Amino acid sequence: MPLQDLLGYLAQLLGGAAITVELAFSGYACALTVGTAWALLRRLDNPVGNAAWRAYASIFMGVPSVLVIFLFYYGGSAIIGGLVGIVGLRPRVDVSPFAAGLAALTVVQGAYSAEVISGAMRNVPRGQFEAARALGIRPYQVWWYVIMPQVARLALPGLTNIWVSVLKDTTLVALAGLNEIVARSRTAAGATKEPFLFFIAAALFFIVFSAATLKFSAGIERRLDRGIARPVSAGAEA
Amino acid sequence: MKFDPALALHSLPDMLHGLWATIALAASVVALGLLIAIPLAVARDSRHPVLAWSAAAYVIFFRGTPAMILLFFVYFGFGQVFGARDGFLGALFSNAFLCAVIGFTLNHSSYVTEIVRGGLLAVPKGLVEAAAALGIEPRDVFLRIRLPLAIRYGLKAYQNEVILFTKATAVVSVITVVDLTAVANNIFYDTYDPFTPLLTAAAFYWVLVNLLRIGLARVDAWLNAHLKADESRGQAIAVHSTARAPAPLAPLGEPAQ
Amino acid sequence: MTAAVPAGDAERPVAVAFRQVDKWFGHFQALTQINLDVHKGEKIVVCGPSGSGKSTLIRCINRLEKHDRGHIVVNGIEVGDSARAILDVRREVGIVFQQFNLFPHLTILENCMLAPRLALHMPREKAETLAMRYLARVHVAEQAGKYPAQLSGGQQQRVAVARALCMEPRIMLFDEPTSSLDPELIKEVLEVMEELANEGMTMICVTHEMGFARRVADRCAFMDQGQIVEIASAGRFFDAPESARLKAFLSQILH
Repeated sequence: MPLQDLLGYLAQLLGGAAITVELAFSGYACALTVGTAWALLRRLDNPVGNAAWRAYASIFMGVPSVLVIFLFYYGGSAIIGGLVGIVGLRPRVDVSPFAAGLAALTVVQGAYSAEVISGAMRNVPRGQFEAARALGIRPYQVWWYVIMPQVARLALPGLTNIWVSVLKDTTLVALAGLNEIVARSRTAAGATKEPFLFFIAAALFFIVFSAATLKFSAGIERRLDRGIARPVSAGAEA
Repeated sequence: MKFDPALALHSLPDMLHGLWATIALAASVVALGLLIAIPLAVARDSRHPVLAWSAAAYVIFFRGTPAMILLFFVYFGFGQVFGARDGFLGALFSNAFLCAVIGFTLNHSSYVTEIVRGGLLAVPKGLVEAAAALGIEPRDVFLRIRLPLAIRYGLKAYQNEVILFTKATAVVSVITVVDLTAVANNIFYDTYDPFTPLLTAAAFYWVLVNLLRIGLARVDAWLNAHLKADESRGQAIAVHSTARAPAPLAPLGEPAQ
Repeated sequence: MTAAVPAGDAERPVAVAFRQVDKWFGHFQALTQINLDVHKGEKIVVCGPSGSGKSTLIRCINRLEKHDRGHIVVNGIEVGDSARAILDVRREVGIVFQQFNLFPHLTILENCMLAPRLALHMPREKAETLAMRYLARVHVAEQAGKYPAQLSGGQQQRVAVARALCMEPRIMLFDEPTSSLDPELIKEVLEVMEELANEGMTMICVTHEMGFARRVADRCAFMDQGQIVEIASAGRFFDAPESARLKAFLSQILH
């Protein structure tokens, strides 16, 4: 197999990687938004809201992401048609694999994000709210300056995990036809009869990207942890 | 957007076949994964650099790689190399189900290794010291104190991973294994009705996941019975849990020096 | 094991001997030129400010910490890197920790039986009888079937004492055994320790309980910055301290 052709296919992989990254970033951003919304809703502790959350969480954390992707991809037009049809319009919308993947990632990873963010909110000591209010700071300022920074610190490990999940779940969208990096690696492997080369290349992409993410996340964690007391490691003792 | 109960009923036998394949796959991988993970976790924190670095490399590679790539890797990669040959390896790699088991085991075991490792790290140092100070040999300290407690500490995380993994088996159709999802897809291709088969399959998965969740919660309750306080004392000393949602990923760290 | 066995008279053999022991944690010297003979049946109380090396000292005896220079000899066995020697020493020496360190997943009885069964290969029934005897000795026999989480701090610490005693050690180490206890629970543990002392056990205790030290100790050692600054009989230690540092320490502690 001429080197040029191999390089050509590798370049194809890079193109696929770009799509993967694009889907991952957008999916993650949307998931965080949905997750934050759910977390805030849960704080209201409204019976209807709580029931809605439990149903949502049970469904989307209880079924494989791939099924959700399929449902949105194959059934997406019908779903949109049905929803919009309530208003009387009858659009013919085709759902692209990317859109189906984005929607599925948002919905599923949004549930996991909501859990992480909720948990982080719960773990901010109650005294923080009380002290801030007692100082006369207005509610929205309390949230912005006192609470959310602490929520961010507590939620960071969980949200980092979710990012890695999102990144890897983008590969599932290949099953709906998205020509991302794994789909391209399979094509290349088939065409060149060099499966190991291309699958390892694809694997390395994910490994390196995850590792970079974790380094980045550790950096953020260090910044957010400024001023937080660390337990003294057992070394010198009485 | 309609659900066709007649179709759902009609497809039940095929769906159950698919479900069985899913369960068989998941169960094999979970069992194998746990078996591999314990020695790997010990190797990870070992003082022998070769052991420690090999284990670390295993975890970094197989945890960082999406399952689908691993499936392709085993099925198309090793399948291509060994598949046409006679003998054990040939039989192994030309069997799609076995390739799926291998691929998923590589992935799942690397997660479980980190969970076991996290559990081992969570065992308070003082307990290990107390056991050692009593004159108990290191091997027994590991088997009777560290491992049982590591299991209890890591249980929540392990439960999460088992459930996540069971759902992850749904992609196995890419290497021609006919699991529950593949059956649902096939019915869709035949009938052009996406909702009925996919929703039915979703329902099956949902039930399976919840059965797992309940079962594992029972195991959790049984293992942690020792934490329940006396009514007269009114409080229990909490065991530090390493639970995080979703499956916790310890940082891709270097092996212990 | 080629240690020079420290000379003690026949009726007062030396149970634990430190000879010019140094220990560092990185650059920080935790123990400086420690020389100490603990005789069989003697009760030594070690006190001093935080960071003075008291815990490190006793943890070096059973190799929970490794000393870097000098020799430590326990009942004729040199404490060193040999795995065999370490196991032998640990069977001579029992330790009670500040944090109790009871095994949470085992019952009180199982906590006590574990080491005799695993380390001494004792059969189950014999170990059970042994464990019940020592649990009775520390007055918690009726709790035998319970788990540590179900007991009070004082009860847990007494179980920890029984657990150590089940290996029938000849030397008992106590590392601030009452420092984690609520005030009203301290007495029951000190009583158990006193009973043990009266029965002739060789004991080395790190503690802040000065009343206990006065009553029970044969000698008291004051440590500061990794050195044994002063060591004297209990009476002289408290009533006629010689060094300025000890005088200052005592005036702070006894208020």
